[in-house]
Amino acid sequence: MMEILLDPTMLSDFLSTSLRLSIPIVFAALGGVLSERAGVYNIGLEGMMLAGAFGAAVGTFFTGEPFFGVISGMFAGALTAVVLAILAVSLGVNQIVAGIAINMFSIGVTAFLSRIVFSGQANTMTLPGYKAFAIPGLVAIPVIGPVLFQQDALVYLMYATVLLLFYLMFYTPWGLNIRAVGENPRAADTAGVRVNMVRYICVLGSGALAGLGGCYLVLSHVFLFSEHMSAGKGFIALAAIILGRWNPVGALFACLLFGLFDALQLRLQFANPEVPYQAFVILPYVVSILALVGLIGKPRPPGAVGLPYRREGK
Amino acid sequence: MNLSRRFLLSFAALAVASVMLAAPVLADPFKVALVLPGNITDQSWNQAGYEGLMNAKKALGIEVAFSEKVAQPDQAEAMADYARRGYDVVIGHGGEFQAAAIRVARKHPDTLFVVHNGTEPGENIATLDFYYKQFGYLLGVIAGRMSESGKIGFIGAHKIKFSTDLVESYEAGFKSVQPDGEVYIAWTNDWDDIAKGKEAALSQIALGADVIFPTMDNAAIGSLQAAKEKNVWAFYLYYDSIVDWPDTVLQSAIMDIKAAMVDLLALAQAGNAEGKNYNMDVNSPKAARLGTYHSAIPADVKAEVEGLIAKMKSGELKP
Repeated sequence: MMEILLDPTMLSDFLSTSLRLSIPIVFAALGGVLSERAGVYNIGLEGMMLAGAFGAAVGTFFTGEPFFGVISGMFAGALTAVVLAILAVSLGVNQIVAGIAINMFSIGVTAFLSRIVFSGQANTMTLPGYKAFAIPGLVAIPVIGPVLFQQDALVYLMYATVLLLFYLMFYTPWGLNIRAVGENPRAADTAGVRVNMVRYICVLGSGALAGLGGCYLVLSHVFLFSEHMSAGKGFIALAAIILGRWNPVGALFACLLFGLFDALQLRLQFANPEVPYQAFVILPYVVSILALVGLIGKPRPPGAVGLPYRREGK
Repeated sequence: MNLSRRFLLSFAALAVASVMLAAPVLADPFKVALVLPGNITDQSWNQAGYEGLMNAKKALGIEVAFSEKVAQPDQAEAMADYARRGYDVVIGHGGEFQAAAIRVARKHPDTLFVVHNGTEPGENIATLDFYYKQFGYLLGVIAGRMSESGKIGFIGAHKIKFSTDLVESYEAGFKSVQPDGEVYIAWTNDWDDIAKGKEAALSQIALGADVIFPTMDNAAIGSLQAAKEKNVWAFYLYYDSIVDWPDTVLQSAIMDIKAAMVDLLALAQAGNAEGKNYNMDVNSPKAARLGTYHSAIPADVKAEVEGLIAKMKSGELKP
């Protein structure tokens, strides 16, 4: 096992696996941060990611251009989020229940549509996708250079999105509005912020971001759509949001931590065949729990998250 | 927003009611239901089961129904529901349905329950399984002859009898050729996570493995893709997959559950199916056989494998 840490090529290889495993989760977690900061739990990230994956496959299949795949993937994610927005923001339905319903609906509807669009052959076709290219200069950094800067366009987009969302959230008036709506919607309303409008935008944005996670799976990772390919990544993103303290950069590191231990557990399995594999499979989850417990200070979610907002007298 | 909850609810209720009223009333032919753990387009175990059911429908003129993605907690209810609705045969597609079948079979003595890859036949429970160890062993031998690095990989989802049988015999076959070789074994804990399937294979390849054997459902496609990208060999299951992966797949273990299903259902329709285990092995090549050899496999290796199959047929070799 030690040779992974000592041999630079093997270490780069191992870290690349970690990064690839965490990228879809990062996109979904960013979406979750956006939506929860505005006061709406988004349990439907999993379903939106799956919808995004399907959208990416359909868009790329019909145009032959991965770029249009990304557009239609984000659109499909946002479209799924419209359902959550209507249920949670307009109708005031329990947000957890609405999210779970969206996940189940998404598994069914993407499978159904993919059998129509790809006539059940989605598994054997290969779609065009994004290929890795190096960023000159930065790629020469030993070990982490090739890991971080020898990647495809969607990974670079992920870096940019994390920074952009962080800036938007904490250094712009829009970000202040979003956080105000999530902390104390009545105060925000008094100050003239249109609470439900902000929530709608954030939930839709959240769906588009989770959809991007699905786009990565299809266009950069495996180049095809397969039913239920999100396989629970959206749920891990939910943990990453809390672990990252509702902060885009924090969520990024939480996802990387998860990806790192997921990649590590795969290799630990080969090295220790005599130990039951379940002991390794749970490793990323155990680390997440330990990190949640071990971090200093209690996680404090946005004050009004989960609560629908109604003006009095309406 | 002028949408009210009441409006949405009444709309939904109307939709449900119209679907239920439209359901046709049918006569009473021989009815078979198949309950599947995964989806029917996985190019793998579940798809083979679905196609087997459809072949049986065509060949035997029976009425069929199926349920996809039935999770462990819902198995007993799904099977009991079909039994209550008068289905003559209810099939659980996978060894994981064994316990549910035993529970449900007691209460529905007139229904025949079939468990594919099952382990315990009973009064009205038939099991249909394959001698996976024979095929794991044969593929292991081919891996031993084709691996230059002396390292090979096996990827499974869960440790159930089907996969442990395969991995043990695969390792045994490989070590019979390369006693000092190494087998990397990975369990992904998910049948559908195609990205994880790919990363598991890439990790094995990074450690030097040059023959990969994935055994998941949807997720196996990811492993085959990794093998293709990195130019190493792979094996696959259930169908002659060299058609889809001409540069990658060395050989496939064709567990043709389709053919086996049609035969067993024909027996059941004639009223001759018994509560016993129907085992498919090299002696029933219609149901269990090797596929097409890749052209890279030398003639003497082919001859060796065919020799081993002959020994298995005579019972001289029992992996």
